[in-house]
Amino acid sequence: MHGRLKIKSTAQQEEEKRKEREKKLKIYVAARDACFDKRKNGILDDEALQLTQQLLSSNPDFATLWNYRREILMHQETVKDEDEVQKLYEAELSFLESCLKANPKSYGCWHHRCWVSARLPRPNWARELSLCDLCLSVDDRNFHCWDYRRLVVKMSGVPVDQELEFTDRLIGSNFSNYSSWHYRSTLLPLLHPESPEAPSPCLKAPETSPPPSPQTQSHRVCEEQLLKEYELVQNAFFTDPNDQSAWFYYRWLLGRAERDEMISCVFISREDERVAVAFSRPVNAQTIGLLLVLDGQPQRVEWRSVHPRFKFCPVWICDLPHGTISDITNEHNLTVHWTEKPTHKDCALYTGRAESYCRDSATDQELFRSELSVEKTSVLQSELQTCNQLQEMEPLNKWCLLTIILLMRALDPLGYEKETLNHFKTLREVDSMRSAYYSDLCSKFMIENTIMKMEYAEVRVFSISDKNLTTLCHLDQLLLVTHINLSSNQLQRLPPQFAMLQCLEVLEANNNSIENLEGLYRLPKLEEVLLKNNKISTVADLKPLASCPKLKRLDLCGNPVTQITNIGSELAELLPSVTDLLL
Amino acid sequence: MGTQVKDVIIKPDAPSLLILDKHADYIAAYGSKKDDYEYTLSEFLRMSGIYWGLTVMDLMDQLPRMNRDEIIDFIKACQHECGGMSASIGHDPHLLYTLSAVQILCLYDSVDAIDVDKVVEYVKGLQQEDGSFAGDKWGEIDTRFSFCAVATLSLLGKMDKMNVDKAVEFVLSCMNFDGGFGCRPGSESHAGQIYCCTGFLSLTGQLHQVNADLLGWWLCERQLSSGGLNGRPEKLPDVCYSWWVLASLKIIGRIDWIDKAKLRRFILACQDEETGGFADRPGDMVDPFHTLFGIAGLSLLGDEQIKPVNPVLCMPEDVLQRAGVQPDILS
Repeated sequence: MHGRLKIKSTAQQEEEKRKEREKKLKIYVAARDACFDKRKNGILDDEALQLTQQLLSSNPDFATLWNYRREILMHQETVKDEDEVQKLYEAELSFLESCLKANPKSYGCWHHRCWVSARLPRPNWARELSLCDLCLSVDDRNFHCWDYRRLVVKMSGVPVDQELEFTDRLIGSNFSNYSSWHYRSTLLPLLHPESPEAPSPCLKAPETSPPPSPQTQSHRVCEEQLLKEYELVQNAFFTDPNDQSAWFYYRWLLGRAERDEMISCVFISREDERVAVAFSRPVNAQTIGLLLVLDGQPQRVEWRSVHPRFKFCPVWICDLPHGTISDITNEHNLTVHWTEKPTHKDCALYTGRAESYCRDSATDQELFRSELSVEKTSVLQSELQTCNQLQEMEPLNKWCLLTIILLMRALDPLGYEKETLNHFKTLREVDSMRSAYYSDLCSKFMIENTIMKMEYAEVRVFSISDKNLTTLCHLDQLLLVTHINLSSNQLQRLPPQFAMLQCLEVLEANNNSIENLEGLYRLPKLEEVLLKNNKISTVADLKPLASCPKLKRLDLCGNPVTQITNIGSELAELLPSVTDLLL
Repeated sequence: MGTQVKDVIIKPDAPSLLILDKHADYIAAYGSKKDDYEYTLSEFLRMSGIYWGLTVMDLMDQLPRMNRDEIIDFIKACQHECGGMSASIGHDPHLLYTLSAVQILCLYDSVDAIDVDKVVEYVKGLQQEDGSFAGDKWGEIDTRFSFCAVATLSLLGKMDKMNVDKAVEFVLSCMNFDGGFGCRPGSESHAGQIYCCTGFLSLTGQLHQVNADLLGWWLCERQLSSGGLNGRPEKLPDVCYSWWVLASLKIIGRIDWIDKAKLRRFILACQDEETGGFADRPGDMVDPFHTLFGIAGLSLLGDEQIKPVNPVLCMPEDVLQRAGVQPDILS
């Protein structure tokens, strides 16, 4: 029951209503039972069509009655000639039109229309398309009608550019039309794909093409079209800066292509006789046909994700057979093949070296910033100027502020860091309901900046203290990091993903609100954990640390757990390797 | 031409305390007016109606007030030769009501009351070549039905009976530019479908395929100044969308991105203090559907007077523990 206002009524009114309902109930039940009886007896006649019509007019969600009608219509097909069948189905379409006028959001009506349209001996798709036009002119957000339109377009081969023009018209008459922007997002990549392949001229019939999807087709648009599209959206948000549709669409335009599937890093540790492999996205290494070849010999190894919680994970580990690489005077060549793709990555472990790695860094892969073409840079610069102008007029417009941040990130994430932080501060104030979202997004951007800085400096130290971090992300990019400093932030946990830091030796995370250490799981090199002034309250919270074999130094000062009696001896039992415990 | 923001205003005298007793009385009394015109009109969805009523009663720890034997007999009578379940006796079977029936039987630990193997055959038989599911033999395709299929089979412990990879492929082909999902490939994102699709990906162990940051942003932007959530941009807030958005955020690990206190205030304001029950919006007519999603929403928001609810299956957590079903949640 949606949108039915409760109205107070007198006892007399109630009584009248009750009587009326009783009468209606009698008529309804009689008609329903008559229908069910006929169906039970296998009667598929005109009278049954009339009875179901009467019931469905007032109750179009009674699915069983639509099914009965379909049975009758299919039967009639076998006893009537083509013209009669055509007439019969045309009558069905006009009945449906009256149903849809009364109930434009009835799933049953729309599905029945799809069914009838597909069975009509001589379909009139042009009329169906204009029905959609009419229906969308009454309610331009009716998603049932949009879906029916997509079916009609597909069945009748309407060219993509014609549909794009349709969205031009709708958006031109009302910018605030999320459905039209959405439709555009599905049409543009077909008409102007990012890849150089030929654009598809029309939305093909179902037998020739699978539906466009993230799997079968890039969702990105070529740069030339993208630049034109910015202009259209700009018109929209200048006309109505508070309409979210255009801003959502704009963020999509500013987005990046999906990463290629690849092996991004291979790391070998001689001492641990272990290999860690990072992928560009979460995978299940046990099922993707991963092959490890050491000095020309395929090895039988068992892959495990960094944490038992993950069946899909970007970082996987395996132990090499004992003794294969332990002799430091030997040189080894390792290749990891992803046979399904196929792709591979080589890594050489030289004589005298304890470890080795080979990787494509986040910077190389342009994960967080791209080299923009001159044209794109100048267009984005002028977009940023425009948004800045808009923001001067509407200083508290959150959509504009967020878009400015995104443009700054596209242009120069490090150069604009200070402005970005200021804008986030304003966003949290003007849109306090979503302050946690802005904090998490800001944390993500700060982590990206820190990863880039670390890579430019060519170090394996990741330091991001005192930045109001509320969440950790991109931890797969930190596989090689040996020292991490997360002190003086607002972190509440070290999530399971933290176990991707397979080279970590020293963790500093003082002065946070950490209460959960799930991610400190089987970190083979971790020696020092500094957790001063956090919220660790029970010995059980520290249990993951027991899986880190080299842990020597642990600082828990200022945590509630230190108040427990006998905490020292309990921890000595739980963490026997720790020699330097600060409570 | 500024767009007017669609929202409601919560009046100062709107209910602000949870009146659980009244809600339990409302649901207990609902099924007793079987000769009512409106009740009869809704027989095409009766099985789901019973699921809504019983689940909310169980969440309030009041399930024993309902007539277990009568309900189980009714469910048995709704199973068809093909294995599928219908909404009422004499109606045709459909995946929507097959899931509801299985959910009800799980509440009562009585799945064996029906022919489980036949249910599995029915569900399996509705999977199409492209991995999608039809709702029944008449061929309507919708990601809602993909959810119904995996939810039914996972409650029965028979997920291996369907082609999971193909089913996942289809649902992912319905992902949109905003990170959300629609009914079919190319369909606009909608909170109800997003709930179905994130729930589906949870049950199939594929949540890593979701762009959680992008989708989470779209979802948290559903919250309006009143505190209520809408199902799509520029729409009015509604208690049932509040559930679908909130549950989706919980599934993708982003529930903190909305203002929980404000949402709680909105949901409480949708109670009817006279009759019990929740409406879609403050001041509207109540019904069992919104009553379940109101109570379930409050449970996800952490109300301790209500049993913890599972965001994927919208059933009490203790029931799922007994059934051995633990859907994934992103951390």
